[in-house]
Amino acid sequence: MLSLILALFSGAVGGLIVAMIPETNNRLRNYIVLFFASSSAFFTWRTAMKVFAGESVRIAGELGGLAFSLDPDPLGAVFGLIASTLWLFTAVYSFGYMVGKHKQRTFFTFFLISLTMTLGVAFSGNLVALYLFYELLTFATYPLVIHERSPEAMKAGSKYILYSLSGAGAILIAIVLTYAWSGKLDFSGGPMLVNSLRPGLNWLLGLFIGGFGVKAAIMPLHRWLPTAMVAPTPVSALLHAVAVVYSGVYGILRTVYSVFGHELIGQLGIRNILPWIAAITILAGIATATRQDVLKRRLAYQTISHLSYILLGAFTLKAWGLAGAIFHMISYSTLKITLFFCAGIISEMTGEIKVSKMGGIGWFLPKTMVAFSIATMGMIGMLPLNTFWGKYYLMKGSVESGKWPLALVLVISGIINAICFVPAIVNGFRGERTKTSGEKGGRVSLMLAPTLILVIIALFIGLMPGIVWPGVEAVVNWFY
Amino acid sequence: MTAAITANLPVFIIIAPLFVAFVLPTLAQRMRLVENLVISVEALMLFGACYLASIVLFQKGIPIIYQMGGWSAPWGIELKVGSLGAFFLLVIAIVSLPIALFARGNLTFEVGGKERRARFYVLYLLLVGALAGMALTNDLFNVYVLVEVATLSCCGLVSARNHPRAAKATFTYLILATLGSCLVMGGIGFIYIVTGHLNMGFASQELGRIWQNNPRVVWMAFSFMLVGFGVKSALFPLHVWLPDAHSVAPSPASAILSGLAVKGYLICLLKVLYNVFGHTLMQTYSVHKVLVLVGMVAIIAGSISALTQDDLKRRLAFSTVAQVGYIFLGFGLLNTKGLAGTLFYLASHAVIKSTLFLSAGAMLAVTGKKNIKDLSGIGRKMPVTTAAFTVSSLGLIGIPLFSGFVGKWHLLLGSFESDNILSVAVIIAGSVLCAAYLFPIIRIAYFESAPEKDWKDPNVPQKLALILLSIVIVVLGVVPGSLLELAGRAAAELLVLQ
Repeated sequence: MLSLILALFSGAVGGLIVAMIPETNNRLRNYIVLFFASSSAFFTWRTAMKVFAGESVRIAGELGGLAFSLDPDPLGAVFGLIASTLWLFTAVYSFGYMVGKHKQRTFFTFFLISLTMTLGVAFSGNLVALYLFYELLTFATYPLVIHERSPEAMKAGSKYILYSLSGAGAILIAIVLTYAWSGKLDFSGGPMLVNSLRPGLNWLLGLFIGGFGVKAAIMPLHRWLPTAMVAPTPVSALLHAVAVVYSGVYGILRTVYSVFGHELIGQLGIRNILPWIAAITILAGIATATRQDVLKRRLAYQTISHLSYILLGAFTLKAWGLAGAIFHMISYSTLKITLFFCAGIISEMTGEIKVSKMGGIGWFLPKTMVAFSIATMGMIGMLPLNTFWGKYYLMKGSVESGKWPLALVLVISGIINAICFVPAIVNGFRGERTKTSGEKGGRVSLMLAPTLILVIIALFIGLMPGIVWPGVEAVVNWFY
Repeated sequence: MTAAITANLPVFIIIAPLFVAFVLPTLAQRMRLVENLVISVEALMLFGACYLASIVLFQKGIPIIYQMGGWSAPWGIELKVGSLGAFFLLVIAIVSLPIALFARGNLTFEVGGKERRARFYVLYLLLVGALAGMALTNDLFNVYVLVEVATLSCCGLVSARNHPRAAKATFTYLILATLGSCLVMGGIGFIYIVTGHLNMGFASQELGRIWQNNPRVVWMAFSFMLVGFGVKSALFPLHVWLPDAHSVAPSPASAILSGLAVKGYLICLLKVLYNVFGHTLMQTYSVHKVLVLVGMVAIIAGSISALTQDDLKRRLAFSTVAQVGYIFLGFGLLNTKGLAGTLFYLASHAVIKSTLFLSAGAMLAVTGKKNIKDLSGIGRKMPVTTAAFTVSSLGLIGIPLFSGFVGKWHLLLGSFESDNILSVAVIIAGSVLCAAYLFPIIRIAYFESAPEKDWKDPNVPQKLALILLSIVIVVLGVVPGSLLELAGRAAAELLVLQ
């Protein structure tokens, strides 16, 4: 219980402390950020271990006359672990990336506060808590999106807020309706709407998915995501590839497994449409990515596509599908962050943001491009990388649910991923081999170290998928 | 002695501000005394309101009936402290005390010299007294008198600033408000014709028995009341006077006008609709459908109009038009949850809108800028004021942790209970639009670079008022406790009464 509170509030407390440190005192601020990010990660690990061991870490109270509880189950623990661990890596990367950038104090303040909000989403024990942190996450990440303060960034920020709040509105309607129909808000104690088959359920599920789908970037609700790429790269990496978008995905997983329950959805007409919505986003997302020239935008569309992998797994309503979804959630996040980190290093070291102009860049930034290549292999779903296993289980789940074309969709998506990025990598190693390497100095090492460690972790999980399997198994056993 | 005071508390709470109001002009040269007097009266009212509310909560639904001058009901005037009365009294006291505190620091800038300030306080207390009367009265003609007192003091407050625009706005307001009063008067007349009673309880009983004898007259009474109070409470499209009046008034006046005065008329309408006509008659005449419909129109139209305003106070004024829509919508839901949510929403909006107007007023006083675009970077220069503005904006948008969310939640539950899917959509759309017109202000205040100017937070009383109101917003959002319970009971009583 204490570790839950410490994990949750480390970020917010750290953020407030950072806000009080003068703009010029970078060194002190970095140490404080590191301390609070590590403390949050540490206590999240402790909480998660307790959850996996089957202990209850529930905190319950009232908020505005409504029940409010924090009660991470294995799914929440997995999401919390992913978020807090990657936050630590991104913090280190940001120390390097932000050198010489303006408004670092604001950046790190909201960087840490967003951690609390994300963990709040992960640890929420009922719909009220989930909604609260989901809304606050929008506001906490807004200053990060508009960090550049350029007109373009301001526009992206407004778009982000408008999309998110509209989505949250749909979610609020859905939550109130759930409460009106079932009288329940709590995730523990089985699905809320179980045994209450009634005509409006298809619409209710649609509302939930439409609402959370904004942050989960289901097409056509994805439009805010590519524009939000004006944010500094660590933000794009962490928030727009993992934390914020995962909060949407997490909301959908919750809806499917804790609000409705897979048995109930199995009786609804909408079950046949949902996997195809995900499939369309998978293909359309990655197909759009091939047409983008700006590297970060290309990565953003790839994110859109891969988020729907996870949704596809959930929508198969089979245990293997869920296992694949959770596995993909874990493994995809490590690699996607790597890709963005590499994009950030490239743009910082060479000033180049367009893929077409990156010829020969691999000789200048060899380690970065190697990391980029390995991560791309992961996105394609090749074997030594962890994403292979997620994809494998996803296919297994699709076939099990009797929709084998979905497995084909995953294969095709892998091929388009290759088409999208392999030529860029080949192009990167074209031309004369130069001796001068751009990867020297403290700043690059700060950015490079987390990138390389993440790649190694991804390879390690790929070779020994057993080490994350207990977590995946715990989630699946929780719901099946 | 104490027994005598507690027994007569319902009438004291109305008389005290009125009485002090008439004393104030004689003390105009001693402003410090005047201000202290006003604050003490407000504090006493808060104390009394808390006491009455606790009694009402404790008695579980048995109202305190006070007979003015000892004359019993059909002949004398009755004051009734039920859950609704205690609830609204509490809201009045909670909101008007910080506004008075703010006025203490801000009035020299807004209205000028001692004489003018003293006159402002006279009108202020008259308005507060009239509102307290509206909360408690159980007599139709008394409602009319109080409505007139409130209207005239509102007009005075609008014109408190020596400015030609103020005179014009006041004139428009006066004409339309008088029209509204006439209609209300007509409505009361029709009820009297049918029932022969002015006491709400008796009129209601009589009306339930014999309304079929004069169905047309009852219909007229309904429509006169709706339009009359609609004008007074700025129901779209009868709101034309509001944006001018509320934006040119001195900021403390804007706060009480938008926060409380409008609510007073709404409470009167609520009493007339539910305590006199009763919900069965409303259903017979489909009044509840009309209410929901006009409410929805007002939410959307008011919000969109607010979006187009560049003047900060005008934007807030149009936002009031939208929020009044929510309350009308809630009046038409005809179930306990919806009505309780509406009442709580009314209270929450009273606090929030006052905070918004006060913080906007503080910004205006320091910067002299009316336009939202000119307020860039003000969050750095005036942290307390902008924080109060932000808290209240989040409350109005309906983010959890803030009071607006609790009200909206129950409104949504109520809408679902009466199977009104369209109103659910409109409530949420209103929230999103509200974010669309308030969020840019916060963005400009915090995330745009500040000009090199010597702007700073206002003096202590103003800051204190803003902090107090912000705390109320958060407390109501986190632990709405007894206020929500009072609202729930009031709703139940309104719906049971037949």
